[in-house]
Amino acid sequence: MSSLDWRSWTSWRYLTGRMRRGWRASLQWRTVFITVAASGAAIGLVGVYMSVSVGNDLFQSRLNQVLVDSNRATTGAQGILDSSDAADRVQVQTLLEAARTSISTASSSRLVALFRVPGQEASTVAPQDSSTFGTSTSVISPDLRASVQDDADGQLWQSVALPADDGSLVPGIVVGSQITVPVAGRYELYIGYSLADAEATLLFVQRTLGGAGLALIVLIGAVTWIVVRFVVTPIRVAAETSEKLASGDLGVRIPEKGEDVIATLARSFNGMADSLESQIKELAELSEVQQRFVSDVSHELRTPLTTIRLAGDLLYDQRSTFPPATERTAELLHTQVERFELLLADLLEISRYDAGSVELESEPTNLVHLAEDVIDGMRSLSESKGTPIMLVAPGGHLDAEVDPRRVRRIVNNLIGNAIEHGEGKPIIVSVDSNESAVALSVRDYGMGMTEAEITHVFDRFWRADPSRKRTIGGTGLGLAISLEDAIAHRGWLQVWSGPGVGACFRLTLPRQARGQLTTSPNPLPPEDADAGGFVSTQTDSRGDHHV
Amino acid sequence: MNSRILVVDDDPALAEMIGIVLQGEGFEPHFCADGSLALDAFHSVAPDLVLLDLMLPGMDGIEVCSLIRAESGTPIIMLTAKSDTTDVVKGLESGADDYMVKPFNPKELVARIRTRLRPVPVETPASLQIGDLIVDAAGHEVKRGDQSINLTPLEFDLLLALASKPSQVFTREMLLEQVWGYHYKADTRLVNVHVQRLRAKVEDDPDNPRIVMTVRGVGYRAGAAG
Repeated sequence: MSSLDWRSWTSWRYLTGRMRRGWRASLQWRTVFITVAASGAAIGLVGVYMSVSVGNDLFQSRLNQVLVDSNRATTGAQGILDSSDAADRVQVQTLLEAARTSISTASSSRLVALFRVPGQEASTVAPQDSSTFGTSTSVISPDLRASVQDDADGQLWQSVALPADDGSLVPGIVVGSQITVPVAGRYELYIGYSLADAEATLLFVQRTLGGAGLALIVLIGAVTWIVVRFVVTPIRVAAETSEKLASGDLGVRIPEKGEDVIATLARSFNGMADSLESQIKELAELSEVQQRFVSDVSHELRTPLTTIRLAGDLLYDQRSTFPPATERTAELLHTQVERFELLLADLLEISRYDAGSVELESEPTNLVHLAEDVIDGMRSLSESKGTPIMLVAPGGHLDAEVDPRRVRRIVNNLIGNAIEHGEGKPIIVSVDSNESAVALSVRDYGMGMTEAEITHVFDRFWRADPSRKRTIGGTGLGLAISLEDAIAHRGWLQVWSGPGVGACFRLTLPRQARGQLTTSPNPLPPEDADAGGFVSTQTDSRGDHHV
Repeated sequence: MNSRILVVDDDPALAEMIGIVLQGEGFEPHFCADGSLALDAFHSVAPDLVLLDLMLPGMDGIEVCSLIRAESGTPIIMLTAKSDTTDVVKGLESGADDYMVKPFNPKELVARIRTRLRPVPVETPASLQIGDLIVDAAGHEVKRGDQSINLTPLEFDLLLALASKPSQVFTREMLLEQVWGYHYKADTRLVNVHVQRLRAKVEDDPDNPRIVMTVRGVGYRAGAAG
């Protein structure tokens, strides 16, 4: 393949690719193309019809003319022949020449042929066959000759292709009839007429039609382009505007011009955008007011709670000097104030997430060290429950860009839950990493959860079994906050569990701040999971504003 | 002599309760309920330590803190109902040594106060060198050449901790334990903010520190002597 071919090939491909894209992407192109194609087909049909009918008409009128012409010429020649008294060969020859000349003159055709009708008795006087058709005498077909021979009085014609002077073929008509030459007998007379003039006229008409048709198609294309542009441009503006609106830019509007249907579209679109904007603003304000209220309440509660806390602790420290009932009261006051405090802190944290005012303070953090720390911190609790905690860390000995405070809170929560629901069986904490993510799984072998319970496990204030005894005294917000923490990191918090087979919570975080997760280094369900058990599908609790 | 503690809080019940706790621990509490009167109270009481609520009528706690810090290195512990980042950092940047988020318990409060009143003794020689500074541990004084640099007790403790082990890299957690007396995970922003304040005072170019060096991902260490 030569370079030129290659270039034209690639440019062709480029062009078709471009056209295909244009076809799919542009309503304007498509409309123009369809209009041009349809009108082109219509114009083509009309053009062909006109060309055919003009051609027929031209031929028919020329034929009539030719027939009249040849008839006149034949009659004239017969007259010359009839009025003659030629008797010998030379005279007959001369007479026939004269008749032919008369025919040529009358018919203005150079093509005249005379053949003696076969089947007459031989005559020495009869002149020989003659033809000015020259080499193209063969255009006079045997069929025509047979017909002429059979019909002594008729005038017969046939369309033929005549060679022109320059060697090309032009359409023509050969008219055949019989004349009677004195003494010599009957002769077939053939006169050839060229239709070159009619052909030229037809060609001219066809060219004119074709040119006009092409011009018309181009014109229709251009007009369609302009008209469609008028209609499509506002629609495109509307489409772009609604796209912006959908992506959250509530301030965009379509310019309103005129009184037509496009302007109506713009007006109603803008009306819709206005009401949408005001409603969203209203909702946002309401939600803001509500979130601020929750936050304010939490804050306002803190000062009296501090006083209560100080008072309660003071009493608690002196409880040994109280009578037994008062001593127990001081203890209850102490523990319940603590619980109240935790609840308030969690409530405040949730309200902060709801308000979208959470900012990560990421720093390089080693997840293995963090897990070790948390396990150490939980040592006394796990020992009191007789639950051994093991840390398995095939990977994860690296610094990930995460907020250590939030990750610590998640891990604390997961391990705390595992201790509470693990029924004293061992807990395995595994940390691993891959090129883009770190993961921490907490596996327990306790009572586990049903599929229905798994779907609610991250809900606020949800408890697996309301009658179950609480030892850690969680607030019911722990996992909800953990999930928010994970999402704030663009991470995942998922759970696998089944009744009686324990549970495995897996936290997966991107190693880089604002990284994207595709896979987790830790498997879920865990490797030691037997059949049965379900994996939570949700990774995003609400999928709303704060991310 | 009992340490005098000025409690600046507008909630009478809480102030009284804090007073009861402090008295029980042998401190001598004084009270002020209005931010705009806090500085006068500070002058008249001349406390050893200030407990300062962030939300005060009259004058904002942060403003009070800057005013006190402008004339004295007296330890200030903020009491805040907000643990929101911006408020805490603002308070620390205005000069507070430590902060406590409400609700706190009495033991915690007393422990924080004792740490600030009796800084953890660091066994060090009388005089240390860090960068081009001379740290006089006994005299609580820092000098660059002949020029004395005025540090708050906390900033001095921080610098002394770093200077006493020049070869060691201190994590934020180690500094929290040694300087602030936290024996559990606490807010490392305390360290960050106070290192910034310290640098602003002792460094020639705080953006390009030579005395308190950052070890990225780990913590801080003392700059080379000389």
